[in-house]
Amino acid sequence: MEALKQFKPEWSDWCPGCGNFGIINAEQQAIMELGLNSERVVIVSGIGCSGKLPHFMRIPVSGVHTLHGRALAFATGIKLSNPSLEVIVNGGDGDLLGIGVGHFVSIGRRNTDITVIVHDNGVYGLTKGQASPTLLRGIKTKSLPKPNINDAINPLFLALSAGYTFVARGYAYDVKHLKELIKRAIKHKGLALVDVLQPCPTYNDINTKEWYDKRIYKLDNDTGWDPVVKAESETKDKLKKAIDKSFEWGDRIPIGVFYENELIPSFEERIKQNSPSYSQYYPAAQQIEIDRKPNTLVEDILKEKRVEY
Amino acid sequence: MRLTWMIGGAQGTGIDTSATVFGNAIASAGYYIFGNREYYSNIKGRHSYFTLTISDRRVKSNTQNVDILVSFDAETVFHHFADVKSFLIYNKSVENVKLDTVQTMEEETKERVKKVLGQRGLDATVSSALKYVEGNGVKLIPVNYDEITKKIADEFKVPLSVVDRVKNTIGIAVSYKLLGLDIDFLIKASDRIFKQDLYKKLNAKAVEEGYSAVTSVYDLKPLKVSDERYWLDGNTAVAIGKIYGGLRFQSYYPITPASDESTYIEAHQEVLMVDPKTGDKIKGTVVVVQSEDEIAAINMAIGAALSGVRAATATSGPGFSLMVEGLGWAGMNEVPVVITYYIRGGPSTGLPTRTGQSDLLFPLFAGHGEFPKIVIASGDHAEAFKDALWALNLAEKYQTPVIHLVEKTLANSYSTVPKHELGLDKLDIDRGKLISKADLSYRRFKVTQDGISERAPLGTTLMYYTGDEHNEMGHISEDPENRVIMYEKRMKKLEIADQEIPEESRLKVIGNKDSKNAIITWGFAGSVLEDIINESGLDATAIQIRMFSPFPSRLVTKLLSGRDKVIAVEGNYLAQASSLVTMFTGITPTNYVLKWNGRPFLKDELENGLRQVINENVKKVVLYGGA
Repeated sequence: MEALKQFKPEWSDWCPGCGNFGIINAEQQAIMELGLNSERVVIVSGIGCSGKLPHFMRIPVSGVHTLHGRALAFATGIKLSNPSLEVIVNGGDGDLLGIGVGHFVSIGRRNTDITVIVHDNGVYGLTKGQASPTLLRGIKTKSLPKPNINDAINPLFLALSAGYTFVARGYAYDVKHLKELIKRAIKHKGLALVDVLQPCPTYNDINTKEWYDKRIYKLDNDTGWDPVVKAESETKDKLKKAIDKSFEWGDRIPIGVFYENELIPSFEERIKQNSPSYSQYYPAAQQIEIDRKPNTLVEDILKEKRVEY
Repeated sequence: MRLTWMIGGAQGTGIDTSATVFGNAIASAGYYIFGNREYYSNIKGRHSYFTLTISDRRVKSNTQNVDILVSFDAETVFHHFADVKSFLIYNKSVENVKLDTVQTMEEETKERVKKVLGQRGLDATVSSALKYVEGNGVKLIPVNYDEITKKIADEFKVPLSVVDRVKNTIGIAVSYKLLGLDIDFLIKASDRIFKQDLYKKLNAKAVEEGYSAVTSVYDLKPLKVSDERYWLDGNTAVAIGKIYGGLRFQSYYPITPASDESTYIEAHQEVLMVDPKTGDKIKGTVVVVQSEDEIAAINMAIGAALSGVRAATATSGPGFSLMVEGLGWAGMNEVPVVITYYIRGGPSTGLPTRTGQSDLLFPLFAGHGEFPKIVIASGDHAEAFKDALWALNLAEKYQTPVIHLVEKTLANSYSTVPKHELGLDKLDIDRGKLISKADLSYRRFKVTQDGISERAPLGTTLMYYTGDEHNEMGHISEDPENRVIMYEKRMKKLEIADQEIPEESRLKVIGNKDSKNAIITWGFAGSVLEDIINESGLDATAIQIRMFSPFPSRLVTKLLSGRDKVIAVEGNYLAQASSLVTMFTGITPTNYVLKWNGRPFLKDELENGLRQVINENVKKVVLYGGA
């Protein structure tokens, strides 16, 4: 808390009414409510309006504002070198599902213990409103010269098929609900996706706050909805249900947790299996010199290469 | 002394293993070895060959002239007959094979072979090629491999298919006998390499058969060895150097000829260390990630470096092309990340399994915007080991990306390296201004006298990074004055590095320092020049540049002034290193010896080229050696 008092936040330069305000508020509250040690939290972002989020956090957590599409790669390096850090990635839909879609899929195969928050607004805001990968075909948002010619990616379906073990959707203007989703995503062991529907008041004049407000409903209100895999035998069935649910889009749009499975080993656990010392002596926990002399012993591996006489 | 031995055959038929057994035997008799593998971008079937040099002194190069060629198929004879000088061991059953029937050979090669044979009025068959070399005074040694393998199969009561590979051992045993060394060295070497009992026995028998087939010629005697020596190829040398240097994170995407380094590290990822607190032996993990592409590889390594970990990636030209955006981010954010850049033939896919020195200006100038970058290049296997550690030190000291250049030839060749050359006890780890604790007043990019700020790992205090121009705190700032200050802060680090890193360590001078002839070179070419100058007494001062950024301008100027000739020796078309010499010193080469056919510099051809330049003042010599 001492840190909070001393902390002087930056001014956020997002447009008035931007969904990013809802996302940053929910994220800050989630981190605070979970009682995370703020210096152990690292926010990694890509490029675009959402990319600036780490700079605008009003709580003292570290931020790494990376390259367009590459936040997941940076986050992977940070997390695997120091698994004691809490790593959260914020990126736009263009960033994570367009230029960075290769990383978005590949990180699913690893199930690294990272939280990924997609700022999903259907447009590239900072470059003046081009169509992003989540904009439906045929939609013409205001700065498009022609209706969108590409089909849209379904981020939830993509994540489910890529191997994400926690898949959820939130809404930027329901901060309380989003906060709870982010908390659950952070606590989840393994790779977590929170796709956040986010109106862009400047460039997306179709999927507006009013548009979403009419359609969104919460999965939590359905008592029959249980997305958590509790035994391996349930995996296929719950995945199928989650995939089915992920295609519900139109008059009714569900938000909440679609899928959760902690039975799949995280990448960190897989490394431990190969190299047991990773539990205690992961890369950042090792001192690699003693008084400037290397303390790594290479005699044994050199011996494998020794000329025998 | 120097003897050149070669073995050739189709990829996937055990040529490598045979070369290993042979080299192992010779090295165990106390000789130094340099061996290089040449192969196609192919898994099985294409022609590959292994050239091995035997010497009583440390050796770092091969020659074009081959003293002994061991062959099993017709293709090997066709590829190499013209280079054989003393003995050609061949399979009796391929004598009548016509060149046109060898499907695995490329048309361009066949045409050239036809031309060479045609000049002596010979047709394109193995027997003609044999006649050709006989005319050059080469002794032909036909071996009836089929008969011998059948005999072994019968004796051990195993099917012929099981003993097929034993053919190779017969061939190497015949060649080994020529050297005059005791059979024991070869038997023991074969025993060390072949793990299964049956194969140990079959190969021991094959050794006996081959060994008894000919009489000795060279009369080599076992040499007394007082030091420990290691078989080091470039990939492994760099890998071990990195591990010793404290590398704890490596990300990579598979690419020839870089991947072997990363897979070696992964195979040895749990490293033995001394616990700084207790002095006990503990184990620590080097994380190795095979990423989805090179873009991810560099950015993962950067992420790891932000956590305070020594991190690197290894790649080749096509992969590095994808890494350039990440490189710029590392420059902007002052991240110590190491890129081991294995140079192969470009552009595009180019020659994926062949060597060259075409990628010097590209890594040196890669990236938009201006940022400091340190670029070093190794010339031999011991240097590759030490430079791997040096790169990690430089990266942390100057908080900037370091590119370590290693050519394919160095990566895939090996030499027996005496322990003292590795200088294990002399190597230090310098982590620069890395701190482990900081309070909330910490500013990652605090402006300092030398441009280098204290660097705290993520997780120790509050910090920000961004690829945008930023202020001391790491927040975005487009303020013009801040821009100038931060720009200068970054660029200043290169000036400081230039002041601090002794210029003597940034280049290597080979040969008589006061010769009228100076040679500018770098990388593996330096090794070949070292052998030429040491063995043949060529009158030249060779300057092997080992660091291109910051460039050792003052020392190079001093070393090049007052020479009659300044000769550029490089494995590229543009003489890239020489153009840097011109850029930094104003001195332009007077002559050139260049090579860009994808094959390494060979000692004899380079020596001939240099003699043409020195004695006849030929302006530019282009070399074509190597099959």
